[in-house]
Amino acid sequence: MTATKNVLNYSYYPGCSLHASGKEYDESARGLFKALKIGLQEVPDWFCCGATPAHNVDELLSLALCAKNLELADKVEGDLAVACAACFSRLKTTQHKLGENEVKRKQVEQAIDGKVSLNKPVKHLLEILARDFGLENLRGAIKIPLTGLKIATYYGCLLTRPPDVPQLDCVEAPTIMETVVETTGAETVAWSHRMECCGANFTLSRPGVVLKLTGDILASAKRAGADCLVVACPLCHGNLDIRQKEIEEVTGEEYHMPVFYITQLLALACGVNPTKLGFGSMIVSPNPLLKEKNLL
Amino acid sequence: MSRIGVFICHCGENISRTVDVEQVAQAARQMVGVAYACDYKYMCSDPGQTLLKKAVAEQRLEGIVVAACSPRMHEKTFRNAAQGAGLNPFLCEMANIREHCSWVHDDRAEATAKATDIVRMLVERVRKNKKLIPITVPVTKRALVIGGGIAGIQAALDIADCGHQVVLVEREPSIGGHMAMLSETFPTLDCSQCIMTPRMVDVVNHPNIILHTYSEIESVDGYIGNFSITIKKKARSVDMAKCTGCGVCMEKCPQKKIPNEFDKNLGFRPAIYVPFPQAVPNTPVIDREHCTKFINGKCGVCQKVCGPGAVDYEQQDQLVVEQVGAIVVATGFKLYDIGEKPKGSAIKGYGEFGHGKIPDVIDGLTFERLASASGPTGGKIVRPSDGKEPKQVVFVQCVGSRAREKGISYCSKVCCMYTAKHTMLYKHKVHDGQAYVFFMDARTPGKSYDEFWRRAIEEEEAVYIRGMVSRVYQKGEKVVVMGSDIAVGVQVEIEADLVVLATAIQPRDGADTLAQKLGISYDKYHFYSEAHAKLRPVECATAGIYLAGACQGPKDIPETVAQASAAAAKVMTLFSKDKLEREPIVARVNEKYCVGCFACKKVCAYGAVEEKEIRDRQGNLIRVVAYVNPGVCSGCGTCQATCPSKSVELDGYTDEQVMAMLETL
Repeated sequence: MTATKNVLNYSYYPGCSLHASGKEYDESARGLFKALKIGLQEVPDWFCCGATPAHNVDELLSLALCAKNLELADKVEGDLAVACAACFSRLKTTQHKLGENEVKRKQVEQAIDGKVSLNKPVKHLLEILARDFGLENLRGAIKIPLTGLKIATYYGCLLTRPPDVPQLDCVEAPTIMETVVETTGAETVAWSHRMECCGANFTLSRPGVVLKLTGDILASAKRAGADCLVVACPLCHGNLDIRQKEIEEVTGEEYHMPVFYITQLLALACGVNPTKLGFGSMIVSPNPLLKEKNLL
Repeated sequence: MSRIGVFICHCGENISRTVDVEQVAQAARQMVGVAYACDYKYMCSDPGQTLLKKAVAEQRLEGIVVAACSPRMHEKTFRNAAQGAGLNPFLCEMANIREHCSWVHDDRAEATAKATDIVRMLVERVRKNKKLIPITVPVTKRALVIGGGIAGIQAALDIADCGHQVVLVEREPSIGGHMAMLSETFPTLDCSQCIMTPRMVDVVNHPNIILHTYSEIESVDGYIGNFSITIKKKARSVDMAKCTGCGVCMEKCPQKKIPNEFDKNLGFRPAIYVPFPQAVPNTPVIDREHCTKFINGKCGVCQKVCGPGAVDYEQQDQLVVEQVGAIVVATGFKLYDIGEKPKGSAIKGYGEFGHGKIPDVIDGLTFERLASASGPTGGKIVRPSDGKEPKQVVFVQCVGSRAREKGISYCSKVCCMYTAKHTMLYKHKVHDGQAYVFFMDARTPGKSYDEFWRRAIEEEEAVYIRGMVSRVYQKGEKVVVMGSDIAVGVQVEIEADLVVLATAIQPRDGADTLAQKLGISYDKYHFYSEAHAKLRPVECATAGIYLAGACQGPKDIPETVAQASAAAAKVMTLFSKDKLEREPIVARVNEKYCVGCFACKKVCAYGAVEEKEIRDRQGNLIRVVAYVNPGVCSGCGTCQATCPSKSVELDGYTDEQVMAMLETL
């Protein structure tokens, strides 16, 4: 696809998860953006943003990792599109912190031997879909309305937090994901745990904590009458999807709730071939639900 | 003028620490026109002033420069001293060598040189000073009180009891304000209605109080002692002179399901109504938005049943003009509405607390109505959703207050106390119920306040949890409150039946537009600003306008009443004189040179410039020139700077004086 055919063009930072456990997020994002004629050009030589571990150990390291990635991204045209909520949060935090602290910025610039790109707009895919591409256009691009699906939209911790940093939407009561999901004709449910933490990477060190937190989220979504969840973060996805069976065993509750990436659902609605959306790599298979609603 | 005395103050060590005062005095003696100069440790003290008066007499001084602190501090002191010595007080000026010099410099030599320069400039100014005579304006001894809550009522009664007429204007159909809505009051738990309603009756029966309810301030003209107020009396649709308050119209009104604002929408009222049974005046008003007669013309029941024929659908809004000499602003507060806020608003809202979505999440004022004997439930505490008695109630303090990230950084002051009171009222009515309170700090400064709070914990068994709430959500019949207990360091979840949010206190909507009409200033939250935080807490910077109650900042009832009485005392001070003296620092137009362009009129923020016709003896119009009303002019000098033909001059700050001051540098 050449640049001229696209309505919008972005540089793209997938992040580590999207090349590994969250592969279906990457595949579906590319599929969706191609269908919408939005160009995504992957930043060459990008590497890990440092995620949660780096900033817990060494602030300079965490800022430098992101600063270097931002410097690399600056060489590719277009605002930087980010899929993973953690990468998004880290990159935005870096710009925010270095923007207001001259001393730290100089330190980091020395460390990366380059300039920090403070002005490159870093945008989450949701933002691009809802604001740049626009809800009206999105509605126009829907070929298979997802009528009948009752969806619990799950934001997790990092999409809107910390306050004033990502500026994606209202910090504690955002609506951006609902507005995007509703363009597909699906119904979103009002539920209580949209913004709660899933336990994130404690899934490895303290699985008990994660089972409780993730279990509460699933229970709340079920209580609200949802038949599936939508996420925009690979770590949330991992916990809600992979741990679901275990939670069912511990609590005795049955969920069978598929956990979609937002791009998977939108791509499906935009007519992208379902075999290209990575439904097969989800632990809780979405096929029974999608078949029941005549969407497959 | 050639015999000027210069008096240099040490201000203890405040000035003499950095400025060599003796050297300044020496330099002053060499200045043109200076006949005498000296320095003294405390010029403002009694011996200092005596020294000044003695020098005036002995040295036959004709002008005075006091080199000391800011004129804002002691100009009045020294002008009085000058007057005592037989001089015109406006021939005495202050050279500010403290705030403008000694306090902001370290280098002694440089500071001394600068102090000398400042003195030299002021000497030049005094040389060209003219005697000025204070302006007198008549005082209309009637007061306007805006707002009929406890603040306005107290101020109005105090002024009226002194024998002056008071015009009391209230926006709602009845006076009483928020205090009339409360159940019982801290720290004595006396019934709010029982102490409030007799005062309301006192107002309506007082021969000196003219009450305008269901009315708003349309415009304000004039100045201290001489305000002209236009009041819009909204059409009540009921003739107050004919209505006997029998209430038949309200009984027969077929519209019965309009949410009652006074009961925080918990109960219902008809379309023709009084907000509450003890309303003053006890005259109903027709809510035209909900009245069938006004919607489609197909009713008219109230007019048919009204014996005295008081119902009048044709009534129009009316404008009334009142002349007053002083204004007390007592517009009160509103509670922070915690729903989601529009994007871009500085106030962020609390979407995560579910207020407005979960029926059993209510604010403090709603709880007051539930607990009030005259409330929609007759004082029975029940859940708005299903009418059941709540067995677990969670109170959350500081919702909106002290939350910088949510846009409000101030403390609302009354919530700690009223939440403690709520837990008690709840326990008194639901003996087997349990109250929990999430709080940041308990702020209980006030007579018997801390004892009251301790009683809530120790005797009424409220469980206080130090920590904030992150989320409130509905789970079946219960409302789950998620929060943290920072004393123990754990996350807490309470399944409550009812959640009461102590939301922040904000100024009333429209506080800013009213301030603009009155010409008074307000802070970024729209609370009105007092003239001085400590020494002039009830006066506005605008002369003749005073503040009372929560419109100036969050306050409880005793504080509000105290401030209202203080404002009334200030009004009475003003009314104690027949004529009001004003500083004669006002602009004067040279009519010979004025070309009548009226650029000055456009820039005058006080509306002091008028158009004056100059006619010959036969009465033929020759020219129209500008005229500055000295009663209105506040001496800002904007007209002087604007006038293209240099025909306006501010007395005491003439171009000649200012240029002379600059040239001497």
